[in-house]
Amino acid sequence: MISRRALELATAILTGGFGVAVVVQSLDNGIGWSSAGVDSGTFPFLTGVIIVAGSLYNLARGVVPGARLASVPIAITSIELRRLAGLFVPAAIFVAAIPLLGMYLASAIYVFAVLAIPRHQSVLRSAIAAAATALALYVVFERMFQVSLPHGAFAAAFGF
Amino acid sequence: MDNLSELFHGFTIAVTVPHLALMVVGVLLGILVGVLPGLGAPNGVSLLLPLTFGMQPVSAIILLSSMYWGALFGGSVTSILFNIPGEPSSVATTFDGYPMARDGRPTTALATAFGSAAFGALIGVILITFLASWVAQVALAFGPPEYFAVYFLAFASFVGMGGAAPIKTVVALAIGFAIAAIGIDTVSGSVRLTMGIDELVKGVNFVVAVMGLFGIGELLVAVEEEFHARAVSSRIDWREVFRAVGRLPRHGVALLRSAAIGCWMGITPGGPTAASFMSYGIARRFSRRGRYFGTGEVEGIISPETADHAAGTSALLPMLSLGIPGSATAAVMMGGLMIWGLNPGPMLFVDQKDFVWGLIASMYVGNIVAVALVLLTVPVFAALMRIPFVIIAPLIVIICVVGAYSVSNSYLDVVMMLGFGIVGYLFKKLFYPLAPLVLAIVIGDKAEDAFRQSMLMSKGSLGIFFANKLVTCLVVAGIALLLLPLVLQLARPFRKTASPDADTPAQEKVII
Repeated sequence: MISRRALELATAILTGGFGVAVVVQSLDNGIGWSSAGVDSGTFPFLTGVIIVAGSLYNLARGVVPGARLASVPIAITSIELRRLAGLFVPAAIFVAAIPLLGMYLASAIYVFAVLAIPRHQSVLRSAIAAAATALALYVVFERMFQVSLPHGAFAAAFGF
Repeated sequence: MDNLSELFHGFTIAVTVPHLALMVVGVLLGILVGVLPGLGAPNGVSLLLPLTFGMQPVSAIILLSSMYWGALFGGSVTSILFNIPGEPSSVATTFDGYPMARDGRPTTALATAFGSAAFGALIGVILITFLASWVAQVALAFGPPEYFAVYFLAFASFVGMGGAAPIKTVVALAIGFAIAAIGIDTVSGSVRLTMGIDELVKGVNFVVAVMGLFGIGELLVAVEEEFHARAVSSRIDWREVFRAVGRLPRHGVALLRSAAIGCWMGITPGGPTAASFMSYGIARRFSRRGRYFGTGEVEGIISPETADHAAGTSALLPMLSLGIPGSATAAVMMGGLMIWGLNPGPMLFVDQKDFVWGLIASMYVGNIVAVALVLLTVPVFAALMRIPFVIIAPLIVIICVVGAYSVSNSYLDVVMMLGFGIVGYLFKKLFYPLAPLVLAIVIGDKAEDAFRQSMLMSKGSLGIFFANKLVTCLVVAGIALLLLPLVLQLARPFRKTASPDADTPAQEKVII
């Protein structure tokens, strides 16, 4: 279970962290505004400062319990969290597998896994859907529009 | 009425059986690339270009421009059905199009979008027909200060409309600007904000951000709610297509206003993206039902779509009359023009009358063909909404992954897309507005470049934004749009003093 407050805090820290990174990086580019023009770091620096300031404000709003937060005390229940993970974790594994297996194999396995393992579809239908997905990707991208999708390290090892 | 007789001559060229066949082929291919993620009108047109080398220039440009129309229409399909905008210019369509489709009215949403898009395109073509030469001169007057003023106007009309918590809006906007700044700085040539990752030199492509923020983010929000008790009607209702189109004239004011915004932004090279955002923002502010925007309002679909297509169409005007392409697609087409032995620019209207007027006539006919084809396919697309969520979810993930990858053949983009997905989910969950974030990613760096170029011209003085009538009008209009809600707030008598905190859950639903 994740409370609304925790989520607000985490997001504010995330945005603030990004803001700090932007500020630090933009200092390398130089900030300044003179008759010779505006330096390339100036705008990122300003946006970074704004992000940090805004994030601090949101952080404070998150820490101080107000009427606003009290109205929605729980942001994500444990059931919802499980559903989220059920979607996101396989997707993340799929993305992580692309460099190794290639787009076609990875997407076929991904489709098969998310359909067959929770038993949404029969194994046969899942396999057909998986094959159809990979084939459709190949025909449309590789053949019709000549956009090459990654073939993966495995395929490369076999000389594709 | 010289133009009219030329136009009729053009029709005799455009309305022939082979040319009509080319239009159908072009539009169908265009819809395909528009619907597919990662592929857009520029890809499609570039791939078709080699096929046109053996053709007559008129036939070739008809094929390519028909493809462009098809892609413009197709781009709206995924925005409405899956919340994945295929092109920057259809982002604003997702704000109301997707909620409407999700509420079980995909047919209405699609038909409304296509109908108003056709209207916008028609106004754009009419403008080209009658004002070609005059308008070309306006576009010539555009320098960096005017560019900046146009972008400023687009931001002003969109940002600060209220709804979301103001500080969250500011943070979202600033993050968008920072993301837009990543990569090579076009003014100084230095590399910015790469965080030590060399590959980030190319910058963060908008498609990558949008696929994650909208596609994956929305998927996560959707999966969290109960497994989709979507009340999508099970049978396809053809009459609803025509009913939705028939209802359009009721929103005449919105249509005309959006078309005007679109044409203006298309000719002055603000482009379709800025046009659609600006039109949506202005509609939300001036519509009586503006409060409900973001929940599936008809005008929220009409406004961005009309402006998008009006701008997309009128963007061809500077390409033809000045040789300045208004968009990536127009740039590819211009390359084609040169390969076919034609010289874009003012002389085209004198030397190649058949070509120019054949093309303009084909815009009328091509758009009619495109609307007819796309309306016929609405039920097919709407049927996609009935596929069970467990099947559609992995497909959307794959679509987003492939789309993010194919933008620049980069695996890093795929990983970033997934990251944007988490950010999109968090922002949606906590009512950070996504629209200002995306707007800043799309036109933030252009606005910054224009501003800094202006500063180089003026040696650091802001006075350049009030140096001539055109730019002063634009800037003043922008400031007025920014201050308007504030003034309205102050002018309003204290009717409800005891209204609770700004973002109660009921109101938060309205936030995009």
